[in-house]
Amino acid sequence: MFAFSSTRPTLPSDLAASLRPLTLAKSRMMPLGEPWKALVPGGGLRRGSTVVVEAAPGLGGLSLALSLLTASSANGHWAGVVGVDDPGVVAMAELGVDLRRVLFVPRPRGAWAESAADLLDGVDLLVVRPPSRAAHGVARKLMDRVRERGTVLIVLSEPGAAWPLPAELSFVVTESRWATSSRLDARYLSVRVAGRGEAGRASEHVVMLPNRRGQAAAT
Amino acid sequence: MERLLALWVEALSSEEPDGSTLRDSLALLDALSLLCPFSELVRLGFYVLPLRGPSRFFGGEEAVLKMARETVRDVTGHEALLGVADGVFCAELAAREQRVVAPGATDAFRRAQPIEVLGRKDLATTCRRLGLYTLGPFADLEVARVGERFNKHALELHRVARGELDELVGQRDLRLGARLGHLVGEPSSKHEQLGLFGQRGAGDERAFAAAHRVRRRLGADALLVASPRGGRAPEDRATLVPWGSPLVEPDAKAPWPGQIRSPSPVTSLAHPVAVRLHDQHDAPVLMSARGTLSGEPATLLLTSYARRTVCWYAGPWPLVERWWVLGRRRAYLQVVLSLGEAMLLSAESGRWWLVGIYD
Repeated sequence: MFAFSSTRPTLPSDLAASLRPLTLAKSRMMPLGEPWKALVPGGGLRRGSTVVVEAAPGLGGLSLALSLLTASSANGHWAGVVGVDDPGVVAMAELGVDLRRVLFVPRPRGAWAESAADLLDGVDLLVVRPPSRAAHGVARKLMDRVRERGTVLIVLSEPGAAWPLPAELSFVVTESRWATSSRLDARYLSVRVAGRGEAGRASEHVVMLPNRRGQAAAT
Repeated sequence: MERLLALWVEALSSEEPDGSTLRDSLALLDALSLLCPFSELVRLGFYVLPLRGPSRFFGGEEAVLKMARETVRDVTGHEALLGVADGVFCAELAAREQRVVAPGATDAFRRAQPIEVLGRKDLATTCRRLGLYTLGPFADLEVARVGERFNKHALELHRVARGELDELVGQRDLRLGARLGHLVGEPSSKHEQLGLFGQRGAGDERAFAAAHRVRRRLGADALLVASPRGGRAPEDRATLVPWGSPLVEPDAKAPWPGQIRSPSPVTSLAHPVAVRLHDQHDAPVLMSARGTLSGEPATLLLTSYARRTVCWYAGPWPLVERWWVLGRRRAYLQVVLSLGEAMLLSAESGRWWLVGIYD
């Protein structure tokens, strides 16, 4: 009824404090940095969702996946990185990831899914690079667990070893081109961003990742 | 149906008034999660965990069974009954018999079970009158006939007997998850060491607990954190160290002239890989003492069979890094290959090394 009355009574402060859902809905989103917050439906990554980043090896998939961590990391959230052999921590710092709150499991040996599941309980975002195509059952269990814990799972996959289940959000690198001068200057990545459901429409964008300072930026 | 290890811990199956059963159950679940993170507490006293992954990782089912048995003993001080079969229903029966059903033999195992294991007295009585003493003949009844003769609950039991459903209604305590959830938030162990970076908040506690789990699973050197340190080359300026090792104070004021400028490679090889760089005449490209190249790089040989065309290169940038102390001279070269990948190479001691990939 309040929605129709022009003079809405003020709520007692203790009642207002108990009305949590509004703030909860907001905290269900993990923030994104430039340039993604303008390009991703909803402007953030929903907790409990799975995001797939697909790129051919060496064409920017890892940079893209790590660039999704920056804003949350700066806000004090923890992140984990599983299965990425030799993460370039200098590059991560340049991207804007706060390295004080990142746990790395570079070589999980045979246990990448188990390590990922272990870390899911303790971090807010988890980047995982499966060593090969993930089995359907393993993927489903991880995604269920992610949903349960409210973590964001970012899966790094290659075109030949796609993630076996549909994700809430996907980034596909379709083209990668370096701008050079007397050194490597910046890379222009063409990225197709697509979501499911209400966020379903795919859109194609060109972003600089990295730019001259090693950050992700709009073009 | 999934091959499961079932554990029956009699002592944890009925609740004590002081709430200790729930706490112990949770502690055991946490411990079993180290063997397999998908361990489940189906109801009080009854745990299952998928066996395939852990047995590959720990080297066989025997090893997992042994570790599970020891885990229960260490955490609760009680003995567990262990069994292996496909599906929650059969796994529990196997545990009660302390039996490891061979892969593929679950069907036969289930069919040989007495009809009473379905847990319905009325159904069991009727079946016995019909001469159906085990699940096998009951399962062979036509679905329509079961529907006629029994009530609708029997149809579900029939599906369990046929192996179409993997757990019995009532086998799982549906409220248990929520009750344990309340316990999870309670602060537990306080003995965790302080992390690399001093102060800690609520999120940190959670992260450290997860870090501990990974370390216990994979060993102390598997979980790494970043530690900044001085140096000029990307692989020198920051590094990954095992979590919990003492912090190296970075020499932040040290100037880094000649440092490779950003962007830095997002993959920075801890152990550089030897590669070969050839010019257009397929002769090795050499670097002189003054930092000039003997020819234009044209081909990068990552291994003896992976030859890649070099489309563009920049450098070399020599790094004369305390060479009078270390006797090291290094130079860096950036290359872009035919498919668009960019890499950072270093020349040292007359050889080329792959040190970074701009993935």
